[in-house]
Amino acid sequence: MQKQITEANLRLLIDSLLLKGQRVVGPRQSGTMVLYEPLASASDLVTDELPRRSIKEAFFPVCEDLLEYRKEGQQIELKDIDPARFPETVLFGVRPCDAAAVPVLDAVFSWDYKDQFFLARRAKTTIIGLACTTADDACFCTAVGLSPNDPKGSDLLLTPMVGGGFLVESQSEKGEVFFSTWQDRFSEPDGTQTQALATPALQPLDLKKIKAWLDDHFEDRAWDSIAVRCVGCGACAFVCPACHCFDIVDEGSEKAGKRRKFWDACGFSKFTNHASGHNPRDLQPKRYRNRIMHKFKYYDDKFGQTLCTGCGRCIRVCPVGIDIAGVLEEIEKK
Amino acid sequence: MCDRNANIYLPYLATVEEVIDETPDVRTLRLVFQDEQLRENFSFRAGQFAEYSAFGAGESTFCIASSPTRKGYIECCFRAVGRVTESLRRLEVGDTMGVRGPYGNSFPIEQFYGKNLLFVTGGIALPPLRTLIWNCLDLRDKFGDITIVYGARTEADLVYKRELAEWQERSDVTLVKTVDPGGNGPEWDGKVGFVPTVLDEVAPSAENTIALVCGPPIMIKFTLPVLEKLGFGDEAIYTTLENRMKCGLGKCGRCNVGNVYVCKDGPVFTAKQVKAMPLEY
Repeated sequence: MQKQITEANLRLLIDSLLLKGQRVVGPRQSGTMVLYEPLASASDLVTDELPRRSIKEAFFPVCEDLLEYRKEGQQIELKDIDPARFPETVLFGVRPCDAAAVPVLDAVFSWDYKDQFFLARRAKTTIIGLACTTADDACFCTAVGLSPNDPKGSDLLLTPMVGGGFLVESQSEKGEVFFSTWQDRFSEPDGTQTQALATPALQPLDLKKIKAWLDDHFEDRAWDSIAVRCVGCGACAFVCPACHCFDIVDEGSEKAGKRRKFWDACGFSKFTNHASGHNPRDLQPKRYRNRIMHKFKYYDDKFGQTLCTGCGRCIRVCPVGIDIAGVLEEIEKK
Repeated sequence: MCDRNANIYLPYLATVEEVIDETPDVRTLRLVFQDEQLRENFSFRAGQFAEYSAFGAGESTFCIASSPTRKGYIECCFRAVGRVTESLRRLEVGDTMGVRGPYGNSFPIEQFYGKNLLFVTGGIALPPLRTLIWNCLDLRDKFGDITIVYGARTEADLVYKRELAEWQERSDVTLVKTVDPGGNGPEWDGKVGFVPTVLDEVAPSAENTIALVCGPPIMIKFTLPVLEKLGFGDEAIYTTLENRMKCGLGKCGRCNVGNVYVCKDGPVFTAKQVKAMPLEY
């Protein structure tokens, strides 16, 4: 279904949601950067800047409690964290490269054991995407098979129209429900043209060809030159919408505390370190190789999907200027 | 209210029933689940692992070292080398700890019926095979000859010393124990030499035999060629890999060897499967 909405009505809609007590998350100024965070009013919404971190934290926070424990004598009392407590949430202004990563992550959090910390939030969240009309040098969604108005992962997708307002397309049942709940705010499309979409510079990559090379080149001297600059800071993984590695850590004393899940990164030197001191990925090129392999081979082998949406954040934050798109181009040429 | 379907990270609570010092730094804990129903119903297969927690320190991954044929308790065995294992070692009889599991695949024991079994292991790697050894000894008439080749750096580093003595006494088990050169005391009644060398010397027959190997990477590296020389095929050799894990559930992204998730696809693999993996374990 297609409808349209004026900028003023969109803001009214957000304020109405907030008045109803609905949790609304969108890009907003947070300290020195723009992040996806709960909005206090529609005026908080920032629509002209890609948030520093991705939307994955709406489902998979930087850190979250898994349980609480308290010791009484020799007994331990456990307090469960019920994933069902997560509030209904509407995500506004999610960029297509972020929204597209959410169904990709569904695969790992739902295969076999169901991680309800991710899945319960997922079930209670409506994602309203916003198509991009500008791209910067790091954007490469089009190179990995997506586009600036890709509907993947969005329940509703907003596309800016010429002269203001947005064309709105529903992409899922959640989107349809949203339309019918808030029908007064939307109107029928009047034929106004949408604005020209962003045009990321990088040409589409042949991901099949890249994967075919990865299939046969676990051992290759190219990894040394590709990863020679990597300092293992992990920033790329933390800003990535698809990286999902985590650690489980107890915080507190033997008497009382919490067990929590934290983002982790395969670039860290201790990530795979055994208690014996043996480390299967003992050198940085091996760790960087795992990053590329996981995104463009292993995840594909396991779930038939690519663990990268071309958002370009890892390129923007890398302190030593490693360009993953450039790495892929280099592999494609081999 | 604890719902383990909703929260897959929630451990069961277990009481430490017995503490056994295997070596100066290796300890066995015998655990009894506090939930009576679970104590009766907890079932696992030899080869599976669990996440054991010392609350306040975190979780560590070890195999379940006791046999599934021994009901009412489970055992884990670990060397105290880090934050969690040091905390686990501080637990006393009656203390409470956490257990998540059982996870991973297991030894296909039914496929071993009617065959001879050759266990080859070193040091702290005996516990992952000890579960299977007792499982097989408790079903003794289902198997042919059972041979155990076990080595450690020194006499003091041998774990399960009382069980080694028991196996040595049994007429239906052949135990070949060895220590590295220099690791033997004046009373030592076993062999002296590295496991692969001793295995080569003992030269057990490969005919109708399954080899079960677990040890440090260096031991595995030198043991596989010896087994090959003895005539063992890649699919007659099983091992259990022990990569670092956190979740044990196929999510946290840590234990993979290439595209193989040790926690889900393993930890038990045939030599054929291991040879197909990149060198990342």
